[in-house]
Amino acid sequence: MPQFEQIEVFQSLAFWSVVSFALLFLLLKKYAFPPILEALEERENKIRTEISDAEKLRQEAQELKADLEKELKNAHEKANTIVQMAGAESKKIQEKTIQETQAKVRQMQSDAEQEIQIAQNKLLNEIRGYTAALTIAATEKVLKKSLGDEDKKRLVDESIEEVLREMDSKGA
Amino acid sequence: MENPLHHFELHTLIPLNLLGIDISINNGILAMWAGLAVMFGLFMVVVKSGVRLIPGKLQSVAELALVFIKDMVEEFIGKEEAHKYFPFIASLFFFILACNLIGMIPGSYTITSQLVVTGIFAICIFVLTLVIGFAKHGGHFLSILVPPGIPKLMIPLMIPIEIISMLARPISLSVRLFANMTAGHTILAVLFGLAMSASLLIGWLPFGFTIIINGLEIAIAFIQAYIFTILTCVYIGDVIHLH
Repeated sequence: MPQFEQIEVFQSLAFWSVVSFALLFLLLKKYAFPPILEALEERENKIRTEISDAEKLRQEAQELKADLEKELKNAHEKANTIVQMAGAESKKIQEKTIQETQAKVRQMQSDAEQEIQIAQNKLLNEIRGYTAALTIAATEKVLKKSLGDEDKKRLVDESIEEVLREMDSKGA
Repeated sequence: MENPLHHFELHTLIPLNLLGIDISINNGILAMWAGLAVMFGLFMVVVKSGVRLIPGKLQSVAELALVFIKDMVEEFIGKEEAHKYFPFIASLFFFILACNLIGMIPGSYTITSQLVVTGIFAICIFVLTLVIGFAKHGGHFLSILVPPGIPKLMIPLMIPIEIISMLARPISLSVRLFANMTAGHTILAVLFGLAMSASLLIGWLPFGFTIIINGLEIAIAFIQAYIFTILTCVYIGDVIHLH
């Protein structure tokens, strides 16, 4: 086997392999390993920070979502209350309007009744006046003489009563 | 048929001598240099083309390999000490891988099929573990020879056994890599020899096998580099944590 027989090359093989290895070791250690290992570490750090960032963002988003949901719920509740309140208010206004209208109608009714009463009274007074004059004139003509003031008044009152009675019986 | 071990022979190309030590450059050393140059060149391509946060294909491969080795170092040596040993372990892995793979090219040479090369690495690693052990634990490091919880009566028996097991580590470490590389290339040489010497009618069979064995050898190049480095991690981890 040449590996055991060529003793003369052993020295140079041992020498050069160790020297070559030492050289490779120094070169790799100085130029090759540091930048590659650095890149690896950098990437590892970047991935780690990015994952934690993403986790943080996710958490924030979740919190935000919860907040928004809460707010939405509040808004819904508020809207419901507002709608309910508006309903109650409108009912109140409606009732008030009805009441006012009713009161107005009642007022108008009583006004009308009052006016009618006044007109009636006025009419009655007028009728009384006419009747008095007529009665006096008629009586004067019948008696051909003037009556005293007391008789006049009595006669007038009597005539009026008579007329009124008649009107009442007719009206009734 | 040609001797299947013939291609393990080394031929001196440039005779050199340094202070009485023969440091002649032969074809094996040239092949090793070529492999290491390609390996380092690939790393430089990754680094020079700009290490990006979103990696390209080559950068992904480099990162995958480094992460793989880093995890291995962290598992066996421990997270707090890992950064100290990582460059050494990673360089060892890429050195052996480059030497194993460059040998797969026909006409090239697999320097890890030389026991003297794997042996010098195994011995260096063994000495390194001893140095680390004594530097870290001082005299207490010798307690590695006494497994915990052993009855006192057994200690005289256990110490020699543990010493043998310690000494067996560099031997098994070096022989495993050397034998795997030698065996694989020998099988390939035998099969090629058969394919060349047999007639075409039967020669296609061993030739077909060489294709399969070639694939297997590439896998073994990775696996043996991995085993060599993982065992180095285990040995260093053992002397750091003792028991």
